[in-house]
Amino acid sequence: MNVRVIYFDNAATSWPKPPEVLAAIGECLAEAGGNPGRAGHRLSIAAARVVEETRELLAEFFNAGDPSRIVFTQNATHALNVALYGLLRPGDHVVTTSIEHNSVMRPLRDLETRGVELAVISCQPDGTLPLEEVRLTLRSRTRLLVTTHASNVLGTVLPIEELAAAAHAVGALCLVDASQTAGALPIDIERTGVDLLAFTGHKALLGPTGTGGLFIRSGLDVAPLMRGGTGSDSDRETQPGFHPDVHESGTLNVAGIAGLAAGVRFLRDVGVDAVAAHERRLVIEFRERAAQIPGLTLYGPEDAASRCGVVSFNLASAGSSEVAQILDDSFGIMARAGLHCASSAHRTAGTFPAGTVRFAFGWFNTSDEIATAMAALGELASWAAQKVAWTV
Amino acid sequence: MDGLITFFASHYALRAETVLKRGGLHAKLIAGPRDLSPNCGVALRFEYADRERAVGLLDAQRVQIDAVHKFVPRSDGWRSAEVAEWRR
Repeated sequence: MNVRVIYFDNAATSWPKPPEVLAAIGECLAEAGGNPGRAGHRLSIAAARVVEETRELLAEFFNAGDPSRIVFTQNATHALNVALYGLLRPGDHVVTTSIEHNSVMRPLRDLETRGVELAVISCQPDGTLPLEEVRLTLRSRTRLLVTTHASNVLGTVLPIEELAAAAHAVGALCLVDASQTAGALPIDIERTGVDLLAFTGHKALLGPTGTGGLFIRSGLDVAPLMRGGTGSDSDRETQPGFHPDVHESGTLNVAGIAGLAAGVRFLRDVGVDAVAAHERRLVIEFRERAAQIPGLTLYGPEDAASRCGVVSFNLASAGSSEVAQILDDSFGIMARAGLHCASSAHRTAGTFPAGTVRFAFGWFNTSDEIATAMAALGELASWAAQKVAWTV
Repeated sequence: MDGLITFFASHYALRAETVLKRGGLHAKLIAGPRDLSPNCGVALRFEYADRERAVGLLDAQRVQIDAVHKFVPRSDGWRSAEVAEWRR
């Protein structure tokens, strides 16, 4: 590739990864190649050590208390499915928001066909959630409030602490989808009081794809989504009920988990506050420059304090995928166009079915990259304006 | 090391090793004897004389254990000793 790559698709998966992550994966495969928790030989123990040290690291990182309450999954979608199918039964009432990703919306729509009653609270076009409406919708037979921590389309951050308190006020549980925020914004599970939190390892936590997890509060039993070998209770043909084994059937992605640990350690050294401040600064720079470009429409909240490193925009009369293609082909800028697996969020923003162009910044992006990208968008805007003239 | 702690899940065995070592006790992960536990993974060897301190440390860290066993050399292997007393 002779054009320098500017990677603005960190909301899909982060890139590049810290070199430590790549090294940890290689080292794990070379040195800890056994199957964790299945045997007593040193390679099996070494693999189990990788898994359990990572679990403890994550429990500390999220201030989650007992590490056994964090179970590893393939990704956040998997974690969300464990939580939703494990908790909800016909007749249960569930409340969610209109800016959820399909990883929440599709399981909920499926559960709706199986007798779960679903209430979707409409957010404002910038993604802001009307808290009063949430409180009015929650009722005594509400089992669960499901909310994203931040929109993957608009970048809007929702107040999970207030939402957890509102859910608890009616005796409901609160499940948070932290796909966009784990590693990008500080998350303190104890302080926020959330009951379940799904996270992915390959986004802001800087780990490899195929890693993620679910936090389940102590004392809360969630039926497993899958059953199988766990290395424990092997004299029985029924699934063990204890954590973490109940939700960890089959061999874990040990090498991936080793990489995830390296990503989390990197973040711990850098500081999640520093990551959040860096991304916020990039968003402010982006928005200031974007405001100077004629025909560029910005979506999402104006207040930088209520958003993460995700921005969405459109250029007048240019299709979002067309813009993203030109950004890649001509400028080496990786952006994601379209509906971002979140049609409900785009309906909320008024950008359905056309979608938007999304830039999602990460720790490794720089102000120079923003400047380069904005110059490119300036050129593209001129081209788009001419395109209008040609087609009239 | 003549003591052995068995666990329901390897997760707890690994945590127990860390807790005991941080507490200044000897601890070594070994393959869990099949006759003592249906767990395919590991068990933890330690000094049986330290059992009260060990169990106290594990309790404090909420590390769940299956049972504490003592190795009796005159017999032909590991025997469940004081299982009722120590089983959690």
